Amino acid sequence: MKSSAGTYESSDCLITTTKNDTLEIIIESIVFEQFGEQIKEVIINTLKEHNILTMKVECFDKGALDYTIKSRLETALKRGGYIE
Amino acid sequence: MNRSYLFIPGNTPSMLQNLDVFESDAIIIDFEDSVALYNKDAARILVSNFLKKYNFEKTEIFIRINDASSEFFLEDVKNTCELNITGYVLPKALPKDVEQLNKLTNKLIIPIIESPMAVLRSEEIAVLPNIRGLLLGAEDLTKELNISRTLEGSEILYTRSKIILICSAYNIDSIDTPWTDKDNLDGLLIDTLNARNLGFTSKSSIHPNHIDVINTAFTPSEREILEAKRIVKKAETTKKGAFSLDGKMIDLPIIEKAKKTLEKAKKYNLL
Repeated sequence: MKSSAGTYESSDCLITTTKNDTLEIIIESIVFEQFGEQIKEVIINTLKEHNILTMKVECFDKGALDYTIKSRLETALKRGGYIE
Repeated sequence: MNRSYLFIPGNTPSMLQNLDVFESDAIIIDFEDSVALYNKDAARILVSNFLKKYNFEKTEIFIRINDASSEFFLEDVKNTCELNITGYVLPKALPKDVEQLNKLTNKLIIPIIESPMAVLRSEEIAVLPNIRGLLLGAEDLTKELNISRTLEGSEILYTRSKIILICSAYNIDSIDTPWTDKDNLDGLLIDTLNARNLGFTSKSSIHPNHIDVINTAFTPSEREILEAKRIVKKAETTKKGAFSLDGKMIDLPIIEKAKKTLEKAKKYNLL
């Protein structure tokens, strides 16, 4: 099941989660050069926090800070029924 | 007492993360009108993570939750009651709604008076526990009364006066309705000075550009501070209950008023 949260607005990101057999993270960001790794780390840590080991996560980032990436991911996971 | 209360949308990161640069004395993070129905969950999670990560010691933070009869009310409170916030702003408030919120939290509450019934029962609301102040919501009120808003605000004069008297009697903040004409700063100044002269302690706002005008209007001017200083100084030196200054009679209420002006000036580092 596919579920999304967030927007394309500045300082925000749009995150889509899809059930998957492996962990797959796709990031498109206006600041990918500088912060691509950090965004990936936030996504991995958030998934770990919720004991999720496999998932496809697509992140379209418009300069979101860590708390926003975490929040949009958690909202998408909640909407998909993966977390309470 | 806060001079300004600024509403910011609860699901907009660019606004949230700048909340301390707007120079509003208090911020109201909004979960109600500015958040679409399908994004109420997203706003709760975003604000929760935001406030767990950042501390704002100089700015009081309130959350405007959805009204007590809405399906979002309980979730709004449940997901935010552990956060480091000063309190809640409760829309469409009636006494039973404030009592319900008081059962769920000990945090401060600012009920919005925005229906004819709420206006009639505003004193009952003001005396309930944990009330920080009453906020007038003139847009909803005039919608219910089916009347238009005007620049001079004559249509809300009775309600404004009633709220001011009640808040003053119970020593809580009286917070005026926001000015909704975003780019009309001259109109905002007239409206804010009118609110201050009527007796409001504060004004709410829906745009960051309005904060400077509101803060200035609710801060004692240089002339007011100078006059207050002279009154207090003469009261101390003459040691009389009443005396004359520049041909005007000065007695105890005027001296007390001057002291209040100086307290306010001190609060905003103007002494």
